Amino acid sequence: MAGEKMDVEQAEQALKSMAHSEQHYFNSYNHHGIHEEMLKDEVRTRSYMNAIVQNKHLFKDKIVLDVGCGTAILSMFAVKAGAKHVIGVDMSTIIFKAKEIVATNGMSDKITLIQGKMEEIELPFPKVDIIISEWMGYFLLYESMLDTVLYARDKYLNKDGLIFPDKATIFVCGIEDGEYKDEKIGFWDNVYGFDYSPLKETALTEPLVDTVEVKAAVTDPASVLTLDLYKCTVADLAFSVPFKLSCRRDDFVHALVAWFDIDFTACHKPIRFSTGPHTKYTHWKQTVFYLKDVLTVQQGEEVECNLEVRPNDKNRRDLDISIKYLLDTQDSTRYAEGRLDYKMC
Amino acid sequence: MTTKASKSTDPVSDSESDDSLSQTESWDDVEADEETQEVISLLDDRVFPDVVSMLAHCKEQHSFDFLGIRQRLQLDFHGCVKLVNYIRQHVHEGLPVTEQIAKSDFESDEYLKPVLEDDAVIIGLFDLPDVVPEGVLPSQVQDGDAAPLVNSLLKRNTELQDELARISAQFESYRATVSQTLDQRWGDVDQAEAEAKAAGKTAKGPEKPEDASKYYWESYAGNDIHETMLKDTVRTDGYRDFIYNNKHLFAGKTVLDIGCGTGILSMFAARAGASRVLAVDASDIIDKARENVFHAGLSSTITLIKGKMEEVVLPVDKVDIIVSEWMGYCLLYEAMLPSVLYARDRYLKPDGLLVPGTCNMWVAPVADSEYVMDSVGFWRDVYGFDMKAMQSGIWDDVRVLHWPKTSVCGEPVGIQVLDLYTIKPTDLSFAAKWKSTLTDDIDALDGFLVWFDNFFAPTRENQGVELQSTADEWAKVGKDRVAFTTGPYGKDTHWKQGLLLIKQKEDDSKATALKKGDVLEGDITFAPPADMPRGLVIKTSWKASGEEKARTQSWSMK
Repeated sequence: MAGEKMDVEQAEQALKSMAHSEQHYFNSYNHHGIHEEMLKDEVRTRSYMNAIVQNKHLFKDKIVLDVGCGTAILSMFAVKAGAKHVIGVDMSTIIFKAKEIVATNGMSDKITLIQGKMEEIELPFPKVDIIISEWMGYFLLYESMLDTVLYARDKYLNKDGLIFPDKATIFVCGIEDGEYKDEKIGFWDNVYGFDYSPLKETALTEPLVDTVEVKAAVTDPASVLTLDLYKCTVADLAFSVPFKLSCRRDDFVHALVAWFDIDFTACHKPIRFSTGPHTKYTHWKQTVFYLKDVLTVQQGEEVECNLEVRPNDKNRRDLDISIKYLLDTQDSTRYAEGRLDYKMC
Repeated sequence: MTTKASKSTDPVSDSESDDSLSQTESWDDVEADEETQEVISLLDDRVFPDVVSMLAHCKEQHSFDFLGIRQRLQLDFHGCVKLVNYIRQHVHEGLPVTEQIAKSDFESDEYLKPVLEDDAVIIGLFDLPDVVPEGVLPSQVQDGDAAPLVNSLLKRNTELQDELARISAQFESYRATVSQTLDQRWGDVDQAEAEAKAAGKTAKGPEKPEDASKYYWESYAGNDIHETMLKDTVRTDGYRDFIYNNKHLFAGKTVLDIGCGTGILSMFAARAGASRVLAVDASDIIDKARENVFHAGLSSTITLIKGKMEEVVLPVDKVDIIVSEWMGYCLLYEAMLPSVLYARDRYLKPDGLLVPGTCNMWVAPVADSEYVMDSVGFWRDVYGFDMKAMQSGIWDDVRVLHWPKTSVCGEPVGIQVLDLYTIKPTDLSFAAKWKSTLTDDIDALDGFLVWFDNFFAPTRENQGVELQSTADEWAKVGKDRVAFTTGPYGKDTHWKQGLLLIKQKEDDSKATALKKGDVLEGDITFAPPADMPRGLVIKTSWKASGEEKARTQSWSMK
């Protein structure tokens, strides 16, 4: 136990020596609240559970790596599914809690937990058969651990190894959101009788993580990016893609909203979950990008858009996002064209 | 003050540098430099003493009639500024510029941004003769029956002169704001560099406490936290009502706003008639506050000063009123109050006013088996796994949440009055006794709830805030009084309440049931932890009447 305590202290020391933004990232995961929220997100946890526990034929006697294991829930699912051994890796000091949890559940001989950065630690096995990871951040990529998963894949995954999940897709649609836009953005026009427009500009550049009702959707969803985790590289995480939104009804578009779907295609019966407005709540909610203009659209029209995403140069965990839109109508009063730059940080 | 935002809205990442970058970008060309009054030609490198001779040169040498274009396009001041920048940009890029320019060519607002540093042409635009209104060309004047025309021209002329005076004043004020902002920024950069150098020399060691504080200020640089605070109507209405209901107190006074954030309280004070407001904040948000103040037309009344209260130099020796929204979770978390007390001792006149003037703090016993089941019991069966290891911290931390008043099971007890006029920083660590009669039968006591009330009084004396004064009752006495509670019986505020959850005994089947009318008593202490001056540790011991042994537990906020 004394040795354990020293590990914790060492880990905390290591965290302190990191850059501030990094430190914050790893430290914020130490709070219980976040783990409680994630575990209580049933869509998330149950999908992983089903994907793992219902596929014992895939996990039996396999070596499994859990990237960013947190409280080790996925590692324990893998043991339940018959894995020979599971290695859980996490940078956060939550891993010391995970060790206690694993011990309480009598799985200490099946699960090895390692505190550290994937890029810096040494695994007790040269190769693994399966990588499991819950790496997704808001808007899929914000504060995501995908780059770490890809690193682990390239370094440790057997040639025919499996990744759970192995496919992620980002969707975008246009929404009518006048009331809320007014509350969030218009608010700054008049704050107790004062003009707060300097904060309005900032508010417009900050995508909003929130839940959107499905009836707000004015356009069909467009799939803008699909990541195949067996093939994609870190370079694919910076991208620029054109897409079209076709309008379902005559309405106004105040914002674009983005969400993602996650697929476990290796399962006997493929398992998929969505974080979109049309389905059950998840802790990822959706991400709303307010437009400066209000687009007045008619049924059947298309809005041509482009989404550009790249990690911020200074802090790789922040995202720089640009959205371009063009509503090219014959009716010049409704013609709209613009570009907005957002920053998720 | 206060709030650590949730994951989704965390303001802590290093937004400060990027924020200032994006702003400087648009304005760094405008740095004022009064000495260079040389007017550089629009179309070549020649330099002139004034705009008129420069424009004459352009007309002669390049057949480019600036005034003619201005007349043809009926350009106002902003239009001229755009035209100048449009020409400068084209010349800079080696593109041709002809007299056949259309207004749409330089419509974009980006042309309001000076291309040339401190462009004397733009400043000199004020010296040019007025544009003759369309349809009122001199030829028509000669057609006789000129009187109405002359009259209308004269009227128009007066209008334009007024307009010009107004725009000139606006421009001057804007220039001042921009240069002030820039000075401040350069100052910051210099300071940061100096600090970095100093830190390099002393290696990594003693600067840890400094870091922690920096983190604190950074957490206030984002938008969300201010949105949350401004939209907390209990809080903001409270300050507004007190200030606007007591304009006679503010009229002609010098006011200090500590931790001004977006500047809202300073602007309330200025609108209430304060002759001068000094607004201090160490966070980058103050740059936005400066813009807000400018847009409100209050730049001449409100002076914004970036820095820590203990380090900045105020342009006055004494102030009449100190306004501050310094309260943290459980009142004392974040510990901004010592800065207010410092300012009180250093700057407040002997008969000066503190807004607010008094706070009191409350504790009440609570029971809610459903909540305990959901937040504590949850960990015993997570998808079939026992995660009791995750429970440990639950009883060590103060939980900040909105607690339903139906789950308060005993009378609330006032435990401390903070008279801000007299307390000392050392009074912020204190111990108090409390005694509460249960108002419900309960299966088990689950914890204690902590909150505070704030009192705004128009005088220093006779505030009459007692240990058991509630905001509502106290405020009823006079219209000039304002008070609000952050407790479970009032409207929700962003401070919520602090929950101290009692650790259940190992054999929790033996939890002690208590009856309505039973009395709980004990003592409670508040103090910052040794290693973190902005944190808070609350400790209480308690026992029910008839029980022999008291239990003791402590909770922290870090």
